[in-house]
Amino acid sequence: MTTTTEARRPAAPPAARTNKTQRHSGRGRALVPAHVLAWLYALLLVIPLYYVVVSAFKTNGDIFAHPFALPTSISFDNFSTAWSRANLGTALANSVLITGTSAVLTLALAVPAAYGLARARGRLGTAVERLFSLGFLIPGFAALVPTVLLAIAVGLFQTRIFVILFMPATALPLSVILLTQFMRTVPPELEESATLDGASRWVVLRHIYLPIAMPGIATVTILNLLNFWNEYLFTLILGGPSPSVRTVQVALPTLVSQTSTDYGVLAAGTLVTLVPVYVAYILLSRQMEDALLQGAVKS
Amino acid sequence: MTAPLIESDLAPGTGVPDPRPGRSRRQRADNITVAAFSAPSVIWYVVFTIGPMIAIFVISLLSWSGFLATPSWAGFDNYRRVFTDPVFWTAARNTVVQIAISLPVMIPLAFMLGYYVTLKPRFHRLLRVVLFTPALLSLSAMGTVFYAIFQPTGMVNSALETLGLDSWATPWLANPSTALFTVIVVGLWSGIGYTAILFSARMASVSTDIYEAAELDGCGHWKRMWSIGYPVIKDYFGVLTMLQFLWTVFASAGMVLLLTNGGPGNSSTTLSFLVYEKAFVQSQVGYSQAVGVILFAVGVVGLLTIRRAFRPSY
Repeated sequence: MTTTTEARRPAAPPAARTNKTQRHSGRGRALVPAHVLAWLYALLLVIPLYYVVVSAFKTNGDIFAHPFALPTSISFDNFSTAWSRANLGTALANSVLITGTSAVLTLALAVPAAYGLARARGRLGTAVERLFSLGFLIPGFAALVPTVLLAIAVGLFQTRIFVILFMPATALPLSVILLTQFMRTVPPELEESATLDGASRWVVLRHIYLPIAMPGIATVTILNLLNFWNEYLFTLILGGPSPSVRTVQVALPTLVSQTSTDYGVLAAGTLVTLVPVYVAYILLSRQMEDALLQGAVKS
Repeated sequence: MTAPLIESDLAPGTGVPDPRPGRSRRQRADNITVAAFSAPSVIWYVVFTIGPMIAIFVISLLSWSGFLATPSWAGFDNYRRVFTDPVFWTAARNTVVQIAISLPVMIPLAFMLGYYVTLKPRFHRLLRVVLFTPALLSLSAMGTVFYAIFQPTGMVNSALETLGLDSWATPWLANPSTALFTVIVVGLWSGIGYTAILFSARMASVSTDIYEAAELDGCGHWKRMWSIGYPVIKDYFGVLTMLQFLWTVFASAGMVLLLTNGGPGNSSTTLSFLVYEKAFVQSQVGYSQAVGVILFAVGVVGLLTIRRAFRPSY
């Protein structure tokens, strides 16, 4: 056994034998190369982020001289420069407005649809569900150009309204399918007895389905907020470069052309766009991880 | 389904046979409810996703120079121009290179890393958090950070100097022989960790009994990973490969735009960036959408191929 499995890893030949005596299989010496490689990659992930954080507080001269050193003093000059050069205040407000409104609109569209599909027994329900599943295979980017033509045709090109109207469409397939799965867990007897008591469909939806689907709604909302906040190409093209309309994601790269290689300002600007996401992650790490996992796996 | 056959005959054509007889009127009422509740989201979806998707095919047959110009019928002229354009072939070659490097590196490494995380080694919680971080980064933040990092005076070259490897230093994004490579590296940087977390979530759901049995048989981790873990989640391997394939083929436009703008020359222009560039920079909407249709075909063929390759063998 040792020859076939461990020959490539001469650092840990006695692994096969020691494993038997270990309670945690993850603590064997056979894993030494794996430990090293995994943490090496983790280090590669962290270094750029570390570089951004420390650079945000340093002058350009400092960054060139000591790229990895901690800042000697805490100065927020880079932040104020980035803030005024890229109009980050307006951009943040636009991002909050677009992200929030789009997420609410997505729920307003997806929740009733999921309710209808969850209680459907007929062919129509299956067909609609299939239509939405198809959406997983359509990469959003493909339809960018026709979407622009649509925006021009309805006279809403480079407006926030069009971005808000458009965003939910990208999130609907996943939102509808996920919520439908949650709502399927509602026992039909519960609805039948409520209907016999004279409850309308809206009452049934609000008082029976919504509470049960709450975890699903939370998942979908976290996922949509994150995706809407981070969306770049569509907001760039549909929203346009005007400082009064653009989101933080569109505003941030403009610092590149304005400041060329003023890394401190670039880093500070980047941190401003990341703070809301990371604050949310610290508060809701479990839920966000679950949401991202479910979001990716459903295809 | 325990419903007797006779009763399901009473409700022909329904997906799930209703176990109680005499419900066909209810079926119809049911369809009306479904239609009423799902209509708004279906309309939204058709207007903003299905419609534009179909429009790509139509626009690819039009001569359309700029978004405000009046289009005219062009037949297959755009395709003829695309296929005789050396830029298109450069972009196609770059996309092939991108896929041929990204997928074979990312998916196996992510699988092994995911297996490693599933073993719950020391500090695995911290490791998970670190692996997860790229999933939270926006494209524009990632683009801005890596743009700075790969500048001639940026972090990478500083680090190489510190390590005494000055001769390796190069203007990564402005050097035609490293620009595409840099875009690929950034994709790998962000993709491996998140894909590993997805793998580990899936592997954690597989019963640990089979691993323990293998462990008792004296199988090492390498064998447990590839002879037991891999066949069990082979279909999922395919799913994640498809996901990364789609991302690489379609979504690379944003990263290319932020890092290199397709250059220098066309050395880092991928097919999806070409779609973007032709439409929004060079105002050749018809040409752009012809490339879009080709990209779409590449996507479908790729997905089918990957699905075939990873069909479960049991």
